[in-house]
Amino acid sequence: MKHSTKRIAAIAIAAALAVAGLSACSTSGSSGGSKTIDVAYWNYGPGAVTNNTNLQKSFEKAHPGEKVVLTPIAGGGWGEYVANLATLIASGKHPDIAFMASEGVKFLDQNNLLFPINSLLKTDPEAKKIQADMAPGLLKSFSAGKDIASLPFGFNDFVIYYNTDIFKAAGIPAPTGDWTWPQFEAVAKQLTTSTRYGYAWTGTEIAPGVLPWIANQGGNLVSSDVCKPTANSAPVVATYTFLNDLIKQGISPAPPASNDLISQFENGKIAMFGAGRYVLPSMLGAGFTSFDITRYPTGSTYQTTLGAGGYPILKSSKNTDLAWEFQKYAASAAVQDAEIGTKTAPYDSVPSLRSTMVKTVAAGIPPANSKLYYDAVDNYKTLAPFPAPAKYTQFESAVISDSQLIFGGNDTVQQGLDQLQKDLEPIVTCN
Amino acid sequence: MSLPSARGIGGGVLRGVTPGSERTATKKRRGDGLAAAGFLAPSGVGFLLFVLIPTIGVVLLSFFDWNLLSPPTFAGGDNYLQLFKDHHLLAVFGSTTYMAVAILAINIVVGLLLAVLLEVRMPRWIRAFFRLSFLFPFVVSSSAVALIWRFLLDKDFGLVNYWLGFLGIPHINWLGSTAWAPVAIIIVNSWKTIGFSILVYIAGLQGIPNEIREAAIVDGANAWTRFWRITFPLLSPTVFFLLVINTINAFQVFAEPRVLTQGGPGDSSRTIVEYIYDTAFQGFDIGYASTVGLTLVALLVVLTLIQFRLSRRWTFYE
Amino acid sequence: MTAIRTTATRQRSYRSREVLLRVLAFVVLAVAAVAIVAPFLWVFRGAISPTDAELYRLPPGLPTNPTFGNFGKVFQQVPFAQFALNSIIVATSITLLQLVTSSTAGYAFARLNFRGKGLAFTIVIGGLMVPLQVTIVPLFLIMTNLGLTNTLWALILPPMFSAFGIFLMRQHFLSLPKELEEAARIDGAGHLRMFFQVMLPLSGPALATLAILTFTYWWNDLFVPLVMISSVNQETLPVGLVLLAGRYSTGSLGTIAAGITMAIIPVLIVFVIAQRWIVQSIASSGLKI
Repeated sequence: MKHSTKRIAAIAIAAALAVAGLSACSTSGSSGGSKTIDVAYWNYGPGAVTNNTNLQKSFEKAHPGEKVVLTPIAGGGWGEYVANLATLIASGKHPDIAFMASEGVKFLDQNNLLFPINSLLKTDPEAKKIQADMAPGLLKSFSAGKDIASLPFGFNDFVIYYNTDIFKAAGIPAPTGDWTWPQFEAVAKQLTTSTRYGYAWTGTEIAPGVLPWIANQGGNLVSSDVCKPTANSAPVVATYTFLNDLIKQGISPAPPASNDLISQFENGKIAMFGAGRYVLPSMLGAGFTSFDITRYPTGSTYQTTLGAGGYPILKSSKNTDLAWEFQKYAASAAVQDAEIGTKTAPYDSVPSLRSTMVKTVAAGIPPANSKLYYDAVDNYKTLAPFPAPAKYTQFESAVISDSQLIFGGNDTVQQGLDQLQKDLEPIVTCN
Repeated sequence: MSLPSARGIGGGVLRGVTPGSERTATKKRRGDGLAAAGFLAPSGVGFLLFVLIPTIGVVLLSFFDWNLLSPPTFAGGDNYLQLFKDHHLLAVFGSTTYMAVAILAINIVVGLLLAVLLEVRMPRWIRAFFRLSFLFPFVVSSSAVALIWRFLLDKDFGLVNYWLGFLGIPHINWLGSTAWAPVAIIIVNSWKTIGFSILVYIAGLQGIPNEIREAAIVDGANAWTRFWRITFPLLSPTVFFLLVINTINAFQVFAEPRVLTQGGPGDSSRTIVEYIYDTAFQGFDIGYASTVGLTLVALLVVLTLIQFRLSRRWTFYE
Repeated sequence: MTAIRTTATRQRSYRSREVLLRVLAFVVLAVAAVAIVAPFLWVFRGAISPTDAELYRLPPGLPTNPTFGNFGKVFQQVPFAQFALNSIIVATSITLLQLVTSSTAGYAFARLNFRGKGLAFTIVIGGLMVPLQVTIVPLFLIMTNLGLTNTLWALILPPMFSAFGIFLMRQHFLSLPKELEEAARIDGAGHLRMFFQVMLPLSGPALATLAILTFTYWWNDLFVPLVMISSVNQETLPVGLVLLAGRYSTGSLGTIAAGITMAIIPVLIVFVIAQRWIVQSIASSGLKI
């Protein structure tokens, strides 16, 4: 018996060491030599592999003697990517750079992983040139407080996609973007038939889901410092009431927790839906071109909702100079121009440089109104901050689950949003 | 096929002793210690590294605050207090139990029914076809299963609602309403797991000697009586086996809610395992996730002990 | 005379009831089989449909212009062959590993006498009640300290101890007749020879049952790779399918259906071939407690 007690004690100590070991192992080295940087990126599909491999090759070509190591990270959704990145870092690997979207900036910042580029932006002439060619809202959406995370290489802003054939058949003129919520509702109602919805929004993500609508009521899901939820504030209540009304009238389906909207849109099952530019490769690749885009209708105000993507430098990087070169390079005109793509295989985001977007439009890549992708950010107010607390994935899944309570007809709008506010309080904090 | 010492586990677990029959089998040689150590070593290493140390690790972690990225800090009993403050936890336990009990019941009852019906005389290839059909879903990964059903259960375009429409049933919001989302998970998971239960039942039924059943037929007992008087008692160890295994499995459902409903609406289709995963890897709250995990272990231990205790009353070993 | 006639009529009514019962049984089985198989037919149909429009057509019928183009698209979208290879490696390795650990431990518990056996066995059964999902974080840390995260080893090693497997094998070894052992012992067989030359040759069905159950379980597991693996090239099929259906990956349901089909077909073929044998081996290994 004594023996076994001793053994159990030994095991407990070993386990304690294993647990303690995690803090020790986090100091173990990064990718080594000063001529190499390790870039972690989200491998969401073949587009991501191609883009990052091209970037790696052309960067190495432009910077002889320097090496880029790519670490592709899996993730069926954004949340899985961030979770995988966190486990990668927890397992002692330290990439110099990690692909990040607006959703994850606060996550990096709050976990003390972010190397802000504010000072670099002020002094570096190349960076100034890039900034001058960039819509101002982009950097704002890529910041945590005053800390600027990265020069974005691309972004997605959310617009309404509409099926031009269905509009024509229904005898409704193409929308100009200057429409109000009641006008939108009337159009959507006209487009609704027994086998087709006028409008649908995704139930798997808050953007484009409910967020662009909230933004157009001048609201947000979190306070301006992203430290408190504002889920049951008046603009949010107004938004959910409106959207819930669309469902009640049969104009929109209660958003299911799946993402087949593109397929339904292509097949005429929905006449309009909201999305970013990322849907283009799949629609154009399938040969579907009878659609165009327009702005979300104006509520009490209009703000464009967007999320940017970039390559923030991680604090643990031992080679911030080279990492900064890489980040700048990824956002440079040379790289962005090379990624424009073709009419059937376009780039899967909006390029962050105005000049590249001009070339994209000139290349005749559908939809006809492509210019809007950039103008919506350049010419209009943008939603800031992007409502992304450090625990973004948990935040988003709480919003989704509780929104379903409302849209599925289980709760009233007020009940559901009060519940959401309560659920978000422990998630959206700055402590 | 029934085993002479099949009772061993039930007794052994509860009393912590080996049943007498085995002891007599090896009584003459009491010096097997060294050999036993050798034979147990491969499993022992696995147990130590991948069960015992991790379990102790979970217990330790439950006393810490840790987000994977910054060093852990000691939290005392905070995580345990949190259990009582967390209004999600009760809801998640509620929906998990609801779904698990239903899945268990379908496996045990419907599985038994189908297995018994398969005993009815019919051409061999037809029986083989049925048996194979029932087993199909069992070999398919849960994520594939969930992806398939996500389309089938779509409120507007899904086949399920389309066919139900012929029965005059209006479109059901399978994945978007608190009432139906757990039902959807129950259907999908049962659809996947029932093949295994049927298989085990078939095996159990094959172990019942034909003479016993034929004797009952000659006695003029009808099918119903024959089943409850003869078949079921002889099958009870199999039922018990399925009860234990399916209980443990039904409380570990993960892929279906994750792919089909993401646990919603609200917490209506969220399982404990999914909650643990979300807390740990989406909320990065490792300490609390560990604490919740321990509550699941406690629940499984209690349930299994109850099952073993009750089983003495209704299981029958030859 | 009367007595005989009564028996005859009783038997006749019994027989007609039996026929009715058989018809009823057949109907119930057929309905269940259709309900269980139908979703697969739907997927297979989707996989060979040229456009998604086919999938929205109600009532569903055979696609008008069947194509195999969707299968090619799967390989463009994700490294499917790599996923399949990883899955084969992982599921096979775990199966082999568990066959070794479970049969040896099962033998020790069934046939050897040693101190603390009852306690040890209770602990083994206790292991059944600690799901891997609960201990995943410490497992992850252990794998990290061993430098194995993001490798297939992180998927193969954690399931090497199987309470269920040990239990299954123990039941099997207990069922083997004692005489066998005694005869071999008189021949002077030691434990190793006893195990390898006497016990194992009689364990085919039990080992097969364990192998089949282990293989299908880990072939299908979504949880462990989700945590242990962060790089796409090390992912297994279940995660691969979710990636295939991810937001950016594809808008085509046909491609997803083709991916699912390719993940299903190999396992199905194995089952079609092996099914009678599977039932036999489970029957003879006596899955009971």
